[in-house]
Formats: sequence, structure tokens, C-alpha cells
Amino acid sequence: MHSELAPAPGSTTIDVALKIWRYDAETGEKELKRYEVEAPDWVTLLDVLDLIKDKQDGTLAYRKSCRMMICGSCGMRMDGAAVLACKTRMYDIAKSGHVPVISPMGNLPVRKDLVVDMDPFWSKIRAMKPWLDPGYEEPAEKERIVSQQQMNVIHKEALCIMCGCCVSECNSMESDPEFFGPAALAKGMRFVGDARDQADVARLNDYNTEHGIWDCTRCYFCNERCPKGVDPRDAIAKLGAESIKQGVDHDMGAKHAKWFVTSAKTTGWLRETELVPKTQGVVSAIKQTKFALGLARRGKVPPPVPPHVAARVDESRKLYNLVKEQGRDGALGIVQGEHALGRIEFAEQAGVKTSDPEVRPGVEPPHAEG
Amino acid sequence: MRKVAYYKGCLASLSAKELDSSTQALAPKVGLELVELETVTCCGAGDIHEAEPDYYLHLNARILAYAEAANCDTLLTVCNVCTLNLRQANWQLKNDADLRERVSTNLERVGVPPYSGNVEVRHLLWEIAEGEGYELLKQSAHRGLKGLKIAPFYGCQILRPSKILGFEDSDRPWSLERIIEACGGEAIDYPAKIKCCGFPIIQAREETALGELIQPIEQAKEAGADALVTPCPLCHLSLDAWQSKLKESTGKDFAMPILHLSQLVGVAAGLEESELKFKRHVVPVTPVLEKLEV
Repeated sequence: MHSELAPAPGSTTIDVALKIWRYDAETGEKELKRYEVEAPDWVTLLDVLDLIKDKQDGTLAYRKSCRMMICGSCGMRMDGAAVLACKTRMYDIAKSGHVPVISPMGNLPVRKDLVVDMDPFWSKIRAMKPWLDPGYEEPAEKERIVSQQQMNVIHKEALCIMCGCCVSECNSMESDPEFFGPAALAKGMRFVGDARDQADVARLNDYNTEHGIWDCTRCYFCNERCPKGVDPRDAIAKLGAESIKQGVDHDMGAKHAKWFVTSAKTTGWLRETELVPKTQGVVSAIKQTKFALGLARRGKVPPPVPPHVAARVDESRKLYNLVKEQGRDGALGIVQGEHALGRIEFAEQAGVKTSDPEVRPGVEPPHAEG
Repeated sequence: MRKVAYYKGCLASLSAKELDSSTQALAPKVGLELVELETVTCCGAGDIHEAEPDYYLHLNARILAYAEAANCDTLLTVCNVCTLNLRQANWQLKNDADLRERVSTNLERVGVPPYSGNVEVRHLLWEIAEGEGYELLKQSAHRGLKGLKIAPFYGCQILRPSKILGFEDSDRPWSLERIIEACGGEAIDYPAKIKCCGFPIIQAREETALGELIQPIEQAKEAGADALVTPCPLCHLSLDAWQSKLKESTGKDFAMPILHLSQLVGVAAGLEESELKFKRHVVPVTPVLEKLEV
């Protein structure tokens, strides 16, 4: 008989080392400080921070509350990637001998150590008018039943715990700090897609402004970082699809997207040269003439005539007409694929390769300045 | 030779013809026989996904169906955006029988062969970063890239979302570095190598896009790179063609040559200028080639 049993969780310990960016906004002092603790083998990053604060350095500042991935307080960066500290197990990292760098989330001003100022985050959430607008003042006499199918449209967006991890590495926000960003726009979709809400068109107009949905550069960092599976980039795509469905298509981003549809229906391939005037309008396009001529000299502006046409392109046009008849326009066209995409996590062949047995960061992330 | 269906995408057919010619010339050297698909269309570039998502799914299903009809189990891509769009649609079709049934029925109604879900979408980068492709690459890159410092630039949609791409760790990728080193070059490291080039919004939000575009170019320059290499023609267009606009806005002339992956490997494998077509670049590649000659 087997006499050796696996040790009970916590009965063995591991040595965990961290390098933490210490920072004080008042004095401007900053320092990358190394800490080492002995901890039970099941610890999370948050547990390690608690041990450091309790036993070694009470001045370390970070946020926490629930310790179980639902309050959204403990977002921070590990080796440059935003994580929830309470969701991040340390065992494999400690065993590999790697010493991760812990720093505050990006795209938000740093107050002290790992604590960021969330005010800009909340003001963008508030700008989405995150409350239901049912279109009437008095409650209806009868209860309004919403079907499961209707709620499925926003089930992912409703998972958001507003931790800010998606915002931390948003590439558009680094370049345009006023961009509403992934968290706020996912919140917007949570209401646009709600069957009970009657303010979709007004909302879509609000979100189709300069720093709105078409400011998203599709870097997909938000999907990658979200600890709850909200997939904010997909929520932004749903808002784009809903905008175009509802005729809220004045933004250059919407015109750009629609030109791809026209191209696919007519020639099958992108009609590249016509894309600029179709997106920006003729006047703006003419202002770009000098730039365009520079590109043309290098063959980067293919002549629109004769067009590059795919064989049997009529099939593409017929497909378009057929799917339009079937009415899965707007966000539904994306929602219909979520069932399959949700299964990826459980499939072996799609499992992300960890690529290296030892964790080797590339360049140490720069410390986010306040 | 392994037979694969070759999906060129829009750019390699039009403004980035140099990507097509260098890929076609390189393929046999890394064990790939390319089967060109005449009937396929644009994948929608993420734009049709955002404008008409149901149409996006059908367009991509049609591309996959024609690859399957050509008896190929692999659809080879040379663009990040095509890779993500096709893989995303493919995953949905493979893993949702009801959805696949509906889409296949629609395809048949307009005369397209049905799609049964037996095609894998793989980028050229993945084909030559490991396995037989990598072994052949090491043999054919005999001319080498000696003395060259190359900045790998991945771009977004070959890394993220990792659950759909899934080839390597999206925060610590290694494939481009491995290829650069196999060709005898030196891969330099810099933080922006996994960030966005700004291309998807370069027309609708140029200022925001340029704020993204400058990061890899500036960082690669500071790290002493002779050139930057990318597996994506959209990143290439942005980094190469829009670089001149950085000069207007910042006053700095980075003069950073940008190479397609197939061109970088192609140089090491001794491809001709008629195949590499460096003359089609906006930022001159000559300094790199001269350094290589010496």
C-alpha cells in the first residue's frame, strides 16, 4: 500500500522574493526595493504583500479588501502586466527562482507605492451614465420579465468588477489620456445591450465622440488583462456594431469600418486607395496629398483602376444579402460566437504555451510616473 | 514539401507586394509549397467584425471553406490581423455545431463549398520558429545577418488575445528573437516590442496613433537597432510609411528601416532584390544592406 501521502496544503513553505517599486508622490522619492519572505506554498501575491507589511515594513502601501477576486481593489502590475494580487499564486514563480517586479497599474496617477488615484477611472465610468434608463418615470404596474437569452447579450460585460486592470495597459489611453477606455466602454455596452434600457441611441451618440469607441486601437491588452473574462475589446466591437446598426455612423472610425464592408461586397478585397477619402472626406484627403504622393512613389498607393477583384466575388455579395435577411445584426453577431470562444479555456489545443519553464522577463517595466 | 493554402490578404496583394514576392521566394526554402486561393476575399481586418459581425463570420468561413476544398489542412497567413480574424472565426465554427451548421448552409446557398472545420490557420512566423521549418531555416540562412542588430516588433494581433492566438507567451514572446538569432543577427530587447503600432486608427485618429507608433521606433533606435522586423504588413505600413509624419511632429528623423519577416529571413537566405523589393519601402533599407556587405 502507498504509505506516502501528498503533503497537506500549507504544510510546506516556499521562499518568495519580490522587488517592489516604492514611491511617495509628496516627496517624489522612488526606489526599487527587494523583499524576501517565507510563506505557505499556497500564497497569492496579496498574501505575500500582507506578510511583508505585517512582519517587515509597515509603510508599504497597497489596496485590498475582499481577497477573493470580487471587490476589484488589488489591481497592480507584476513584471509590467496588470493582475489582481489576490488571484496570482506565487508557487511556480518562487520555485523558478524568478524575482518579479511589482509596480502600480499604468495609465493612472500614482499616489504612494502600489496605490493609484482611481478618480480618472471613476469619472469615465460615470460619463457612461451607468444606470438603467427604462424610458418611463413611474414603475410599470406589471413586473417586466427579461429572458435568459436577452441577458446573455451582456453576461460578460456584467462580470466587470471595475478593478482597472484593463485600463492599465490600454495602448490608446497611453497616447490619448482622455480616451474613455475599455472599462468604461464595457460598462456602456452593459447598458446599450440591456433589453430594459430605452436610451441606446442617446448612449451610442455619447460614446461616438472624439475619445469614444473609435479611439480604440485594438491592441487587445484589455482582453488579455481582465481577470474576470469581460473581454472589453469585444464589448467595444459590439458598441461599434450597434452604432452602425442604429445609423450612428458619423465618426471617421465608423466610415472606415463600413468601407471594408463595401469593398468585400464589390471587389472582395479592400479598395485601399479609396479608403482615405471614404474615411476622412474629400477635403481632408486632399490635405494629405503631399503625404500620399510620397507613398505613391514607392508603389504604396495602388491605382484603383483596374480593381483587384476576387474570383466569384458575387458569392460574397450574395452572402451579405443573405445574412442581412437573417437579422443577426449589431452586437448579436458577436454574442453568437461567445459560446464557442468561452470553451477555449477548457480545450487542450488552445492552451497558451508558457513557452519557457523558467519565467524570464524581457526588459524590466519602467516605473509608472504619477 | 508541405502543401499549404496561402492566404495573402489585402496588403500583400496591393501596397505591400514586396511581402508577397519575398514570401513566395522563401517558402520552398523552408519546406512550404504554397497553394494560392483565387476565390478568397478580405478577412475584414477587424473592421467588418466591428461593422457587420455576422457577415465577418461568413466571409471568413468562406475563406476557410475554399482552403478545405483545396485539400489543405493549413491556411498560411502573413499578416497579424488576418491571423486573428481567421482564427477567431475558425474557433467559433469548430466549437459550435449549431453555428457551423447555419453558416455552412448559408455558404452552400450562395454556391460556396460547406466548411467542416478541418483547417488550421497558422502564421508564417510560427511555421519557421519551430519544428521542420526552423531546421530548414537554419540551413538556408547561410548568408546570415552577421553584425546586424535587429529589433523584433511583434505587433498586437499575433499575440493577443492569447487564448485565440496561443502560440507563445504573449508577454514574453520568443519566436522572432529565435529566428533573428538563427540567421546570425543580434536581437535587441525593448519594452514596446509587444505594443501597438497604431495602424487600426491611423486614419480616424492620427494623433493618437502616432503617439503609439513612435514608441517602438524611438526605443529601437535608442537600443542601437539597425532595423526593425515585423510579421505584420499593417505594422510595416504604419512604421515605414508613417515614420515621416513623426519627423513633422517631433522634428526627429529616426530613419529606421522596417523589414517584413520574410524579407529579413530572405536576406539571410540570399534572395534577390527582385524578390525582396526593398525599393518599395519609404524608409531606405540601403544602410542595412551596406552594413551586411562589409
